[in-house]
Amino acid sequence: MSIASRTRVLVTPGLLCAALLMPLQTAAVDLSLHGFGTLAASRSSDGSAEPVRDLSQPSGITDAWSLTSDSLIGLQGNLRFSPTLEAVVQGISRYRYDGTYTPEITWAFVGFSPDPVWTLRAGRLGTEFYMLSDSRWVGYSFNTVRPPSDYYGTLPFNYVDGMDLAVTHPFAGGLLKGKLFGGESREQSPFGDLRFDLDGSLLLGGYVEYYLGDLQARIVHVGVRFANDLPLDAFYRTLPAATANELRVADRWSQFSSLGIVHDRGPLQTQFMLSRTHNDHGTFQDTWAGYLALNYRIGDWTPFIGLSMVKSEAKDLKHPIPGVTDLYQADFHSDHRTLLIGTRWDFRPNMALKAQVDLIRGSPDSIFLFRQETPDWDGSMNLFTLSLDVVF
Amino acid sequence: MERRTGAHLLLAIVLAIGVGAARAAEPVLVVMDPASGLDRLTREQVINIFLGRFRRLPNAQAAVPIDRSRDEALMTDFYRLLVDKSPAEIRAYWARLVFSGKTEPPQKAHDLDDMIERLANTPGAVAYIRPDELSERLRVVLGLGLGLGPEPGR
Repeated sequence: MSIASRTRVLVTPGLLCAALLMPLQTAAVDLSLHGFGTLAASRSSDGSAEPVRDLSQPSGITDAWSLTSDSLIGLQGNLRFSPTLEAVVQGISRYRYDGTYTPEITWAFVGFSPDPVWTLRAGRLGTEFYMLSDSRWVGYSFNTVRPPSDYYGTLPFNYVDGMDLAVTHPFAGGLLKGKLFGGESREQSPFGDLRFDLDGSLLLGGYVEYYLGDLQARIVHVGVRFANDLPLDAFYRTLPAATANELRVADRWSQFSSLGIVHDRGPLQTQFMLSRTHNDHGTFQDTWAGYLALNYRIGDWTPFIGLSMVKSEAKDLKHPIPGVTDLYQADFHSDHRTLLIGTRWDFRPNMALKAQVDLIRGSPDSIFLFRQETPDWDGSMNLFTLSLDVVF
Repeated sequence: MERRTGAHLLLAIVLAIGVGAARAAEPVLVVMDPASGLDRLTREQVINIFLGRFRRLPNAQAAVPIDRSRDEALMTDFYRLLVDKSPAEIRAYWARLVFSGKTEPPQKAHDLDDMIERLANTPGAVAYIRPDELSERLRVVLGLGLGLGPEPGR
């Protein structure tokens, strides 16, 4: 049993017991139900490859209009027992690893805030690999039709079972916030026709965030220790042990470091994100990714333009087998950028229509964030998306 | 002729959007209960309280923000003067925080009387009014749109 799961076993029942006992002590328990949804149709300019929103999806956008990639619905219940204690449960139905829309519980936690400075949450929590990554399914909360896939797409992790602790305090004329989090994944990721079992993978991380006037900046670091290997045991067994050992990911770490800056002044909102991924194994490639997005509000309309990029590099193996390990590593390669242009129209309260064009330009060997690549895949493709986002 | 009609239509739309965005906000007063013991909050403190970043008053008490959600013009002017954000942007902001299990949005007062009652009965409560709604049951802790100092929405 890992450190995180031991901690969870000790802490979560205590909080849950407290949560269950609270209704006996307080007369009014406040229950609120809310939801969010996206209906989005998208298509690509050619069928040479299928870009995915993120790696949790088994197939991507094709050259025929489809509602599959980005349409989803989420429901959330908040149960407030007292000003300091709350329970939250959220479920989302979306296109997932097995090609179905089977709803999943994405959040289920008890949160305790004894004062405005400290917050402790335990249970199932959304992952905060990058700034804004814990709300990336809530289309109404951002202006693009989907969070830039070059940046967020490599994350198959949406939630962990664990806990987080946050502290906020005024500092140097602004607000300083720190958070530590840890937990175990319970998710799966598609891998060809097979599945990469992330269940039991340990995630540990933290961030420091600073608000000063219109500016918000966050530095995040997260480590993931995979519990299992990719479903390629038959392949690994054909390799010399030393080579296979360099490629296996089980019990190895991947490290994600990132910087996020949001400047929000009046009608103009600017976002800049940059991340570096480093791996202790020779499979997933060390990656730089980033994006810059400008949004400008004009009445009910918010046109935006953004540029995102992702570039990865295969690790030099100590025991390579030319013609085998290089082909294997090439499956995990990314090298492209995307210019995205579009607009959001808040045509009525709690509803927004969006239209977006993605101009993807890159190298034909950029295939990690794509499915069903054909020999015609040349690294370039355009995507067209229309979406309706609601909250209720 | 058709082209000219199209150009006129486009001009009308651009003007309509521009005029809509430029409507000047009427003044808003941020208020608390007179028994709160506080007589001033800074703009930064009011932003932190209403946007859920840090809900603590200068006397270390937890702050409880209250929105006038039924008075659309008042609420619109309040957020425009405070952070220069439209109602849709504020809703999008809260969608992000609520659905990632973070802070709750402000409480919602039905009307002025409900707001005054909440201020009196909730320690640390902060709300906002139009200047003509001011009474001895309220204490002004910040003025917005009064022409004092730099204000984003003016």
